[in-house]
Amino acid sequence: MYNCISPGNVNNFVFFPSPSLSLSHTHVVIVIAINLHYPIGHCFCSSCVQEVKTITSLQISEFKLCDGEAGVSYGHQVLYMSKDFGLRTEGSKYPDASGILKDGFSRLLYVIQAPHVADGTISHFQQSLVLQGIHVLISSPNEKLEYGIDESYKLSIASSGAPVYAHLEAQTVYGALHGLQTFSQLCHFNFTTRVIEVRQAPWEISDQPRFPYRGLLIDTSRHYQPLPVIKKVVDSMAYAKLNVLHWHIVDSQSFPLEIPSYPKLWNGAYSISERYTMADAAEVVSYAQRQGINVLAEIDVPGHALSWGPGYPTLWPSKDCQQPLDVSNEFTFQVIDGILSDFSKVFKFKFVHLGGDEVNTSCWETTPHVRNWLQKHSMNASEAYAYFVLRAQKIALSHGYEIVNWEETFNNFGNKLSRKTVVHNWLGSGVVERVVAAGLRCIVSNQDKWYLDHLDTTWPDFYSNEPLANITNPKQQELVLGGEVCMWGEHIDGSDIEQTIWPRAAAAAERLWTPYEKLAKDPKQVTGRLARFRCLLNQRGVAAAPLALPGRGAPLEPGSCYMQ
Amino acid sequence: MAADFTTSNPNPLLLLCLYAVYICISTSISLSALVVDAQKTLGLVSEHKSTSSQLKDSLVYLWPLPTEYTFGNGTLSVDPDLSLAVGGNGGNSAIVRDAFDRYRAIIFKQSSSKLRKRMMNSHISKVRVIVHSDIEELQLGTDESYSLIVAKSDDRSIIAEATIEANSVFGALRGLETFSQLCTYDYETKSIQIYNAPWYIRDRPRFAFRGLLLDTSRHYYPVDVIKQIIESMSYAKLNVLHWHIIDEESFPLEIPTYPKLWKGAYSKWERYTIEDADEIVNFAKRRGINVMAEVDVPGHAESWGAGYPDLWPSASCREPLDVAKNFTFDLISGILTDMRKIFPFELFHLGGDEVHTDCWTSTPHVQQWLRDHNMTAKDAYQYFVLRAQQLAISKNWTPVNWEETFNAFPTKLNPQTVVHNWLGGGVCPKAVGQGFRCIFSNQGFWYLDHLDVQWDGVYNADPLEGITDASEQQLVLGGEVCMWGEMADPSVVQQTIWPRAAAAAERLWSKKEAISTRNINITALPRLQYFRCLLTRRGYSVGILETVIFPVRGAFLATCPQENNLNAKSS
Repeated sequence: MYNCISPGNVNNFVFFPSPSLSLSHTHVVIVIAINLHYPIGHCFCSSCVQEVKTITSLQISEFKLCDGEAGVSYGHQVLYMSKDFGLRTEGSKYPDASGILKDGFSRLLYVIQAPHVADGTISHFQQSLVLQGIHVLISSPNEKLEYGIDESYKLSIASSGAPVYAHLEAQTVYGALHGLQTFSQLCHFNFTTRVIEVRQAPWEISDQPRFPYRGLLIDTSRHYQPLPVIKKVVDSMAYAKLNVLHWHIVDSQSFPLEIPSYPKLWNGAYSISERYTMADAAEVVSYAQRQGINVLAEIDVPGHALSWGPGYPTLWPSKDCQQPLDVSNEFTFQVIDGILSDFSKVFKFKFVHLGGDEVNTSCWETTPHVRNWLQKHSMNASEAYAYFVLRAQKIALSHGYEIVNWEETFNNFGNKLSRKTVVHNWLGSGVVERVVAAGLRCIVSNQDKWYLDHLDTTWPDFYSNEPLANITNPKQQELVLGGEVCMWGEHIDGSDIEQTIWPRAAAAAERLWTPYEKLAKDPKQVTGRLARFRCLLNQRGVAAAPLALPGRGAPLEPGSCYMQ
Repeated sequence: MAADFTTSNPNPLLLLCLYAVYICISTSISLSALVVDAQKTLGLVSEHKSTSSQLKDSLVYLWPLPTEYTFGNGTLSVDPDLSLAVGGNGGNSAIVRDAFDRYRAIIFKQSSSKLRKRMMNSHISKVRVIVHSDIEELQLGTDESYSLIVAKSDDRSIIAEATIEANSVFGALRGLETFSQLCTYDYETKSIQIYNAPWYIRDRPRFAFRGLLLDTSRHYYPVDVIKQIIESMSYAKLNVLHWHIIDEESFPLEIPTYPKLWKGAYSKWERYTIEDADEIVNFAKRRGINVMAEVDVPGHAESWGAGYPDLWPSASCREPLDVAKNFTFDLISGILTDMRKIFPFELFHLGGDEVHTDCWTSTPHVQQWLRDHNMTAKDAYQYFVLRAQQLAISKNWTPVNWEETFNAFPTKLNPQTVVHNWLGGGVCPKAVGQGFRCIFSNQGFWYLDHLDVQWDGVYNADPLEGITDASEQQLVLGGEVCMWGEMADPSVVQQTIWPRAAAAAERLWSKKEAISTRNINITALPRLQYFRCLLTRRGYSVGILETVIFPVRGAFLATCPQENNLNAKSS
């Protein structure tokens, strides 16, 4: 029956996200493969680059991919993974004192070996075809996960050797981790020999991200997400080479995080057990960082902060009018200062997110003491909003952070914002152009395309959302740091967060990683690869949803993972 | 408080009883203090008290509810360097050691590893596991009983210990699960605490067969996903994974004797090798879970023909399997021989449901065969099932068949047959009335793919419904919730299974009298909500519990446990 299934039959050219440049066999460039229902891409040889073939055979594995001079056939050289597949680091300048590379290698082994029991005999294969391990060369000894760090890598696998090792070169350990992720997608279990294989050797892959900021937002205020759930999300982000976990920790509904300077704040948690200690937060940061993922912490002030009040009711304008935070009360800014001071000890990322969206100032205007304060300072409510945001920005700057704010701040008083502000788009299109024209940096998250809680937004919508749309000036393009998909938590919890994130976030991840020229112009062309990536996530225990349905639909009928 | 020592245990522990009597007396005196303390256990301190919250406060947040238990009003902290001490003939088992490592990781997983040591409280630095038997065979009816004591070594000591005593390693596993549920992370002291100590628990299952069906034919589940499900089953003390491996849609399993069979897989990648299956069986065994394999013949087997088209009556009429060919039975025999090597459980499921015999009566060569043998299609159905039963019995298996076989020809079935109910109520009473054993899976309550069945429907269904005779009750092995896979795949399977499967798990484990009285919305729902959050904390996707409006795996804005909202508390 499986003979007639198409997308999965496209054997190896199924990286997700697609690498910048992959070469299989000398002189032969194979950018990406093929399929029937959903043509995935094109094939061309060095001598026939202009010649784009669409392959329409059912049996891809028997099909000659390129009939150029080299006459190379697809599936020509297979390497067999040794049972003692090992990590070598001789010559690497990175000492791996904290075991980041070693742990990455262990995770690699796990995801390769988890799908099947690979107990086939290796010894009867030619020794020169047995892949003994991976040799990783890292040029930088530094393991600080700076923003904009070099994430590039080069992965090469010879077709034979004595002995044969995969070679991975990277500037930083984090580039190397991406290389290991790519390598994991090259490994296939052979059901006949019971051995894990790397097919189509030799391989030359040279890869680097298009954008330095590739984010996913999680929201632990609307629903608490237990630590193991957050860690699983981090693991799955690494599979898709995302690199920023935007942690929307606190909102109106609950305040789950411990703030040592103001210990009553987490009285705003949903319950005693739905809280994070600072040590928990540090654990999340360290867990993510060890996978090359930065954590962008957010407190969303002044509009989304009602839950601060159970611990400190004076933060509310009044008992009956509890939001936004009381702008007239000095204590408000002391608390923000305390929070950011505590943050700075744990959240080491260059940026902190200060929110600033959806500020409805009516409580300020209706509460007598705030109204008086406004009058005294001759401010109207919208000026007070600017005052609040800018003051919070200054506090963040004083703790060494650069600031991210939601776009309303820019839309309302863009020229007053600190030049260190990164404007976080969400309302819609057109904002990014204005932001970069004003010389500020920007992160793209337009809700019509990149809000994961919008279940009617389909994966092709996610794939097609271009952060640099309508921005042609290279200087302005540089100001677009990247983008982020947002998993708002009103209607998701630990029971369905994974399938609401995946596979749609993966479509955005490719948009953010892969060079523009290599991206599919028609998202339908990636259906097969994305379906395959979704099944890979399932294999790794991540509950990624079927592609065929909007949002996180459950399958409607029996069928193959690769066809749903 | 539900201390009850009227039931006998084959291995009574004198010490336990003495302590229990003492605790019973002392705790009944200070009942009101106890209630307050029980609240603290779970952070349920509530300002306003109604009758129902009083009841709720005295609930014991263990799932499923143990057979017998008492508790006190002390607090013990658990040492982050918790270690294992073993005793008894079976104490040295690797199964126990591995399980201890797993549970230690679970206990300390709820929060970060940087736990503080607390010396103020009495603390537990050791779990002592005593296992009397070194036999590690897991079978139907394997002794799963255990006792668990968590107490200070004496009144003045600050040293406390947890002791689990069991006849088999599998009983010890159940005890470790219960112990892990007693451990709570305390956010104030940042340590793991056991409240309401000392605890004296004596526990054993009500039914020997507590199953979950997983269907890997309609959708393929990767090995890792199956392992996650098995792991979660052990949290609810379920003990049989009914693996509905094959159906008409796909044939994912390798059968070495007939290697073309898995051509019926959905794709090259959606297959299990025999080694994969073996790995799953061993993984399950180490968690005290049997794997009952199924081949559903003759009606649900179209996918067999992808590799061997002769098994179809004809290329255009493909189901049921061709009753007229000996090859059909040779092949079943080959499958059973291969499977026998990796499935050690004594029960084997032969299906036998939903057999539409039209293909037999409309295909000329089968028609001819029926005439030659003087059989109607219905006779041939019986002939097929009984011949398959003989094959299973010849390989030392006890056959399980879906209830249609019993409904159609009850007197012909092999007397060893276990009848698997699904169509509706009243079948198990009939089956045991005729001396057959029975498994309860009434689809109106225990089919998890029926998303409109709410948790209380699942909870209230009882396998012994309509069976009063004690010897007939003995013939009901237990029950099973069924996760049919037409509309469930790895993206939704966990939250479709949980939390409803847990409702059935308590029905199957706990004493009926202890969990059927009073209003289950007060006595069971808060505890189930707590268990749901426990699963979430352990990293599982668990559906929402809602009694009225929402579909079972729907979602809406809600706080996780049924614990008091601190907003309310602090205002």
